[in-house]
Amino acid sequence: MTTILEIILIIFTAIIVGLFFLGLSRKVIARIHWRYGPPIVQPVIDIIKLFNQTGVSHGTLFNFGIIFSLAGSVVVLLFLPLGKICPLSSSGGLLVILYLMLIAPLGLALSGGEAANPNASIGISRKFLLAMGYEVPLLLIFLAVMTHYNTISIVEIVNKQIRTGWSFQHIPLLLSGIAYILILPAIIGLRPFEMIQAPQEISSGPMTEYGGKFLALTTIQHAFNVFIGISLFVNLFLGGAENPGYFFLKMLGVFIIFLFVNAVFPRLRIEQAIRYLWKWPTLLAFAGLIIVMITS
Amino acid sequence: MTPGILLAIAFGGAFITYLAGKISEKVRDILAVLVSLALVGIVALLYNISSRSTLYTGFLDLPLILRVNTLSWFFAITVAIVGSLSVIFSLSYIKEKERTDFYYLMILLVNASMLGIVFSGDLILFYIFWEIMSWSTFLLISYNRGPALSAGMKYIIMSVAGSVAMLIGMLSLYSYYDTFTIAELSDHLSSASPGFVLFIFILFFIAFGIKNAVWPFHTWLPPAHSEAPSPFSAILSGILVRMGMYGFLVIFFVIAGIDLFLNLGKGIVRFNYILAWIGAINIIIPTFIAMLQNDSKRLLAWHGVGQGGYMVLGIAIGSSLGVAGGTFHIINHTSYIALLFLVVGAIEHRTRGIRDLNSLGGLIKKMPVTFFGALVGACGLIGIPLTNGFVSKWLIYKTLILNHYPFLAFAALLGTWGTILSLYKFLHNIFLGQLPEKYQTVNEAPFSMQIPIIILSLIIILFGILPGIPLKVINQIIMTSGLESLNITLWGITSETGILNTVNIFAAIFVVAVIVWLIFKAGRKEIKVGQDDNYAAGAFIPEEKYHYTVDFYNPLYRMITPYLRDFVDDFYQRLARGVKNLGNGIRRIYTGDVGYYVMYIILFLALLIFVQINWKVW
Repeated sequence: MTTILEIILIIFTAIIVGLFFLGLSRKVIARIHWRYGPPIVQPVIDIIKLFNQTGVSHGTLFNFGIIFSLAGSVVVLLFLPLGKICPLSSSGGLLVILYLMLIAPLGLALSGGEAANPNASIGISRKFLLAMGYEVPLLLIFLAVMTHYNTISIVEIVNKQIRTGWSFQHIPLLLSGIAYILILPAIIGLRPFEMIQAPQEISSGPMTEYGGKFLALTTIQHAFNVFIGISLFVNLFLGGAENPGYFFLKMLGVFIIFLFVNAVFPRLRIEQAIRYLWKWPTLLAFAGLIIVMITS
Repeated sequence: MTPGILLAIAFGGAFITYLAGKISEKVRDILAVLVSLALVGIVALLYNISSRSTLYTGFLDLPLILRVNTLSWFFAITVAIVGSLSVIFSLSYIKEKERTDFYYLMILLVNASMLGIVFSGDLILFYIFWEIMSWSTFLLISYNRGPALSAGMKYIIMSVAGSVAMLIGMLSLYSYYDTFTIAELSDHLSSASPGFVLFIFILFFIAFGIKNAVWPFHTWLPPAHSEAPSPFSAILSGILVRMGMYGFLVIFFVIAGIDLFLNLGKGIVRFNYILAWIGAINIIIPTFIAMLQNDSKRLLAWHGVGQGGYMVLGIAIGSSLGVAGGTFHIINHTSYIALLFLVVGAIEHRTRGIRDLNSLGGLIKKMPVTFFGALVGACGLIGIPLTNGFVSKWLIYKTLILNHYPFLAFAALLGTWGTILSLYKFLHNIFLGQLPEKYQTVNEAPFSMQIPIIILSLIIILFGILPGIPLKVINQIIMTSGLESLNITLWGITSETGILNTVNIFAAIFVVAVIVWLIFKAGRKEIKVGQDDNYAAGAFIPEEKYHYTVDFYNPLYRMITPYLRDFVDDFYQRLARGVKNLGNGIRRIYTGDVGYYVMYIILFLALLIFVQINWKVW
């Protein structure tokens, strides 16, 4: 019973926090641009409005791709510790999370593929290429963390950090942490790594064909995506947290820093992004893993 | 039931099917399906039987032994199932082609010889069946003629090289221990000197590595897989290639034993550690090459090479988890690569032989069942949770991380991302996007093609949700090779250092998906529109189709292509050219003209006389 309550609590927190982040990002960027910006609850208003509009569907896979993508994101949430709450911690560890995180982009890609719009296909191809780019350093970072703490359970990693201090305070993990910061915008799709959507260029890429409730669900999916990306970083490197409130504050801090980056940087081209991701972050992560191997 | 009867039915059935084809095509088709299904039934009856019987002793007084144990049963059931599904698929695939009797004979012969390999209890019988398999495979690969001939030639040349290595290995074992029997060899070899063991290991590594397409012996595989008839590609990539893995398991764990295997060498120059790195290279390079392919079967063939790396990596680590993962990955790979090759076969059948990924598209609307098979197969190959590929990969990753091999784990994990990229391209370019005008009339694959596709899809999902079923059998194999037993439950693995519970993951995904679906239904109903009714944000939509497929990952191509030449293949090609030139040179001496030979003899005699006169040697 408590598990079910926890699950509901986590999902609602993620929706609220994720949508709040989306609203906040529009507000913060507007202020940096010397505009007033929409109210912070604008994404919520949009979603309610979109659910009442007629959408256009291109087939069964078009519908179910989105459903599976969203379901995949929600399931990842259940494996991530939010403070001390982690309902599915006993069913698998970081490796399972790594693989469950594939479902969301794959579902969206399949759905967007059936839309038969070349803009969507271009966006998807960019999404996979970008993922290929940041997965290389990200996997090295994950392996450094797992090797350093000698476990594949994320709950265990958080617990060890609560006892011995944040991963950033462990000297062997320092380089890995820096590499993680360098690739985090790519993971949550903020500028300069926004080429997947690129509204002016390929008219929102994979999202092109979505309208009505489809767009509403993909917005929620995007909110989850931001939440997962940041909370994974907080859990692995900023020590997680004892309670959800403190955890949320840590996430907010990280997000705002990357919003500033987002507001002032132009968009990179995809090959520039891959070249960047495979250069400094990968070198740092590689060195980090070697250091961890030597010290452990 | 004994393996003797099984093999009699397998070989006899193959020839009777061939003869029946001379009378009536219908009878032949029914007979072929019946024989292959009977083999599944008989192998299933052999479950949990452990027996050993001498078949014949007349051959140079050496006993030819057939034996059944869990390891051989495990491979035999996979062979039988994939064989029967492939035969069922062939019914419509091969119908309009020529030399169909020959095709069925060969495909059943390959099946029979693989069963012979796994049930043979001594190396002589093993070698005989191995050769039958190699040669009938060669005939099937070159079935289509044209480019298939050179692909088959490449295969058989490497295969013969492997056989020679195996023969040398067998004869050196015999000259030391006076026996070819696997059971007796395993008693002897544990006391052998490390140098001799290494010698044997390297010879058998070459022999089985060539069949298993382990880097750097992989070059025969991509052309062979793409040129063979698709139902046979399923067998070839699914299980025939993995006879090499069976060979590895037999030589490393049954004959040599786990202690010998893990303690050969010191530090990082241990045999199994080097083997693990070969496995890692085998994952990365082929997977990245697969991304660059535009031929659907060649793309899958490169993945066949790449996935072999996971198996080698798993068994090379030599821990219980690793060996279990590597062995489990063999049957998982069989299920999804066979499925994907059958899917490609169905598409080839319906589009009249189109394999080019750049010219297909939008077929999901026309072939939904085939698409479902392709999707499940792709998820399995990637290793998405709830498919069997995930469980075996999880076992391998976990053992790599916990045994402190993070760089090997990195290679294995990175391979997964390469797989996603190329398989999404595979799905997208064939099934998604815009449907070209010329494929508007394509129909769903015939029913006899849908059956194997559906069965294999169900196997993939079943083993993904309840991995305990195959893992129980694998656990027995592990225990007989002297490793610690694993704590297997129906839904995964329990241990102190990390738990996997696939049923919970399944329940979570299922429940959440249903809830999301309900929310989706609650919104205002959508309207369905065709592919031409596209939103393009005011941009111009061209009259003809605009399906974004060519150079799908173009930016990455430009970056990595220079590094991804198949250097090994280049080397072999140079070697082949060198041998040819040498042959040409030799031909200048052996002209075939008697006069020249007389001259050589006289010159030689003159040389001898000259030597004798000058130095008085004799």
